[in-house]
Amino acid sequence: MSRLTIHELTKAFMAFVAVKDVNLEVADGEFLSLLGPSGCGKTTTLRCVAGLEDPTSGKILFGDKDVTHLPPERRHIGMVFQNYALFPHMTVVENVKFGLDMKGITGAEAQRRMTSVMEMVQLSHLQDRHPRQLSGGQQQRVALARALVIEPTLLLLDEPLANLDAKLREEMRFFIRSLQQRVGITTLYVTHDQAESMTMSDRIVVMFGGYIHQVGSPQDIYFRPATKEVANFIGHSNLLPGKVLDEHDGIVSVQTAFGVVQSRALQKWKSGSPVTVMVRPETLRLTAGSYPNALPGRIVAQHFLGNIVDYRVALADDTMVMIQSLGGQTHATGDAINVIVDPEKTWLLP
Amino acid sequence: MIMAKAKTNLRNWVFGLPALLLVLLFIVVPYLNIVVMSFRNTSMSAPYAPGFTFDNYTRVLGDLYYLVLLRDTLFFALLTTVLCFVLAFPVAFHLARTKSRFQGLLYAGVLSPLLTGVVIRCFGWIVLLSNNGIVNQLLAYGGLGPYRLMYNHTGVTIALVHVFLPFMILPIMNSVQAIDPRLEEAARTLGASRTSVFRRVLLPLTLPGIQSGVILVFVLSASAYVIPLLLGQGQVQTVPTIVVQQLLGSFLWPFGAALALTLSVSVLFLVSTFALSTIRSMRRLA
Amino acid sequence: MKLARVGLLIPVTATYVFLLMPIFVIVLASINSAEYLSFPPSGFSTKWYQSFLNSDQFMSAFRRSILLGISVAFFASLIGTPAAMFYVRFLQRNREQFRFAMLAPMLLPEVLTAIALLFFFNQVLFGTETILPLLIGHVVITMPFVFLTVTSALYNMPTAVEEAARTLGAGPWRTFRRITFPLIKSGIITGATLAFIMSFDNVNISLLLKSIGTVTLPIQILQYLQYDFDATAAAASTISVMMTMMVVLLIDRIYGLRAVRF
Repeated sequence: MSRLTIHELTKAFMAFVAVKDVNLEVADGEFLSLLGPSGCGKTTTLRCVAGLEDPTSGKILFGDKDVTHLPPERRHIGMVFQNYALFPHMTVVENVKFGLDMKGITGAEAQRRMTSVMEMVQLSHLQDRHPRQLSGGQQQRVALARALVIEPTLLLLDEPLANLDAKLREEMRFFIRSLQQRVGITTLYVTHDQAESMTMSDRIVVMFGGYIHQVGSPQDIYFRPATKEVANFIGHSNLLPGKVLDEHDGIVSVQTAFGVVQSRALQKWKSGSPVTVMVRPETLRLTAGSYPNALPGRIVAQHFLGNIVDYRVALADDTMVMIQSLGGQTHATGDAINVIVDPEKTWLLP
Repeated sequence: MIMAKAKTNLRNWVFGLPALLLVLLFIVVPYLNIVVMSFRNTSMSAPYAPGFTFDNYTRVLGDLYYLVLLRDTLFFALLTTVLCFVLAFPVAFHLARTKSRFQGLLYAGVLSPLLTGVVIRCFGWIVLLSNNGIVNQLLAYGGLGPYRLMYNHTGVTIALVHVFLPFMILPIMNSVQAIDPRLEEAARTLGASRTSVFRRVLLPLTLPGIQSGVILVFVLSASAYVIPLLLGQGQVQTVPTIVVQQLLGSFLWPFGAALALTLSVSVLFLVSTFALSTIRSMRRLA
Repeated sequence: MKLARVGLLIPVTATYVFLLMPIFVIVLASINSAEYLSFPPSGFSTKWYQSFLNSDQFMSAFRRSILLGISVAFFASLIGTPAAMFYVRFLQRNREQFRFAMLAPMLLPEVLTAIALLFFFNQVLFGTETILPLLIGHVVITMPFVFLTVTSALYNMPTAVEEAARTLGAGPWRTFRRITFPLIKSGIITGATLAFIMSFDNVNISLLLKSIGTVTLPIQILQYLQYDFDATAAAASTISVMMTMMVVLLIDRIYGLRAVRF
């Protein structure tokens, strides 16, 4: 039985529909990210799970218990907010203890939990400070401690690292993930940062415009995106439109405006159907010489980025593709060049 | 589910209801009642008599005395507003921009008159302006005067300006404080002189504050009662003083109501005209 | 440039003198031993204060103003605080209209409101024999101040602290008691203080809605000035000024009044 089930969730604010028919199942102990651009509905979905928003329709279940209309204080969740939401008039200790007070956990048990959680977040020495005396990273850890000390069924995080600087963000990523694995708590994590979701999650849910576009592991999302939006959002990709010519031994040939491209396909494609070939820049190779099935083109620009070189190549019909190669090869801008496409590394999108 | 949402909303209205009822019952209804009252018949023996009539308004608009009264009240309100603006503008700018450590004290200096109450402030002016008041005593040392500074429009206007000055200073000060100092810097780097910066950057951006201050002071001075009463001592009459006299003295409520409403409508008309005419310059700022 | 700066300083200083002089003059008059204020003052005396303390009229008016002020502050806060919470946290539609309704008593000319209430109480309700109309009138015009200060305090609260409390197991009432109320306390106190001062100094409403036995201090001074003229009124005025100053300073000391911005 999954720890969290979201069934046909829809949430509308007056005329604007923020979340549309979202279905999701989260396994026990899993770290799941909700990823997407601002306004895609990921935060609204999280808030419905928390009970801070009332769903317009649909069901939310914790295990086999229907919590759809249960107020937040009865759901036994732990939530970490983007700006930490620490109580300014209380010390660190009072903040963390708040949830225990609310649930009537006192005495030795409370003490035990407090000591253990403060140690986990490494803040035992700052117990009597007020939030305004702490740095952003420290405040974040207090927020985590406060959410975890009540031993909730679910941990919900709403873009918790958005207000931290880049270096701290990277450190905190590992900190949160290892903490989560240690405690083994089922976690729902909202972010718009794809690197964050890729490094931390067991599975990623990619959302656009209120809909779920894809649910899968980081590898699935990266190598086998379900839609063009997902392909565009994660990393860089070249999207080449064309028509299916034929299929042969699992390799599909696609006719494009600048030549024929071949791709391995995992499903059947009908001859003549329109298709988009997705090719990641790092899977393309350039060669001055000839190569079977290579696409002819011309280097229009190149940028040296340190570990890689970024090329912009114009193909036969002036379609631009982006190619990234590790340093070593040297081609001059303006050179005629051939682009080698590896059929094992391409992906077809409808 | 829809039921649950409605119940929450209804329960939440309990918070806002007492205040709403207070305003409804003790502002909206009474104000509507003034309008009704202005159409009632007057009576010698009671506040009003049964039946309705237009007589009160014909009296207000037909009798030259009341028309002149109306004109004077509006005129001196306008004069007060202009004088307040002239005095307030430098103070507001200074207060908004000064970095001196006395800024808090100066701000308190502008606020504190508001805490002392209008009667006391008028009392101070009586002591200063009456025929053997302090100002005339000082002038006597120089061989001047005595001048009649009270019991006339001069005294009343001085007191009006004094009492309502903070209401002009504060909105302008807020407007100036809201201006990003980097706008001035940008203008200077583009070659604007100090006067140009003031005229073309700062002044337009303080317009909202000026507008608020002007409307506030005008409405307040047109409806002022205590100040003309104390500084005029019966020699200066404004619409509010006459109206209160009709209500408390002569007991002619319907007529008093009609007079009060006539003033209010005139003030509203002037304020709206002003607001609309400046709306174009405001729109350019939005 | 330096000259312009100095040139500006002169009108600014003159304006400050203009603002503060009348009050200063009254304070001086209250300790002047002469019958009438002369310049320079002829001597110092506390006789006017003794006259004030011995005057039944003034003392009862003073007591009444204080008691009334405290009651007004209490009721204005009681009504204005939940209204502010409603506006900031709950109200979805017609927000601008509600806000306008809350601020209307403050925006309308006070004389007109006083007249409206005079008619209303005498025609529709129980008349102005008791102190109740006065209390209601004061509460109506001071409630907007509490609404403004509490709204401001609510907006200044860090976002999501109330939601955080809910996720930690606190229901709506406990969230209010442990989280919201402590954080808006200074806003409520500031609003209540403003309500007290506005009530204490009020003239227009107090004049029209008073009855035989309900004279407040400003009205007492007003009546005194119209018929009598000695510096007892100056002593009364100075005490009134001192009182309001003291209240402001006391509250500022305890809670901080930086947020007095309209």
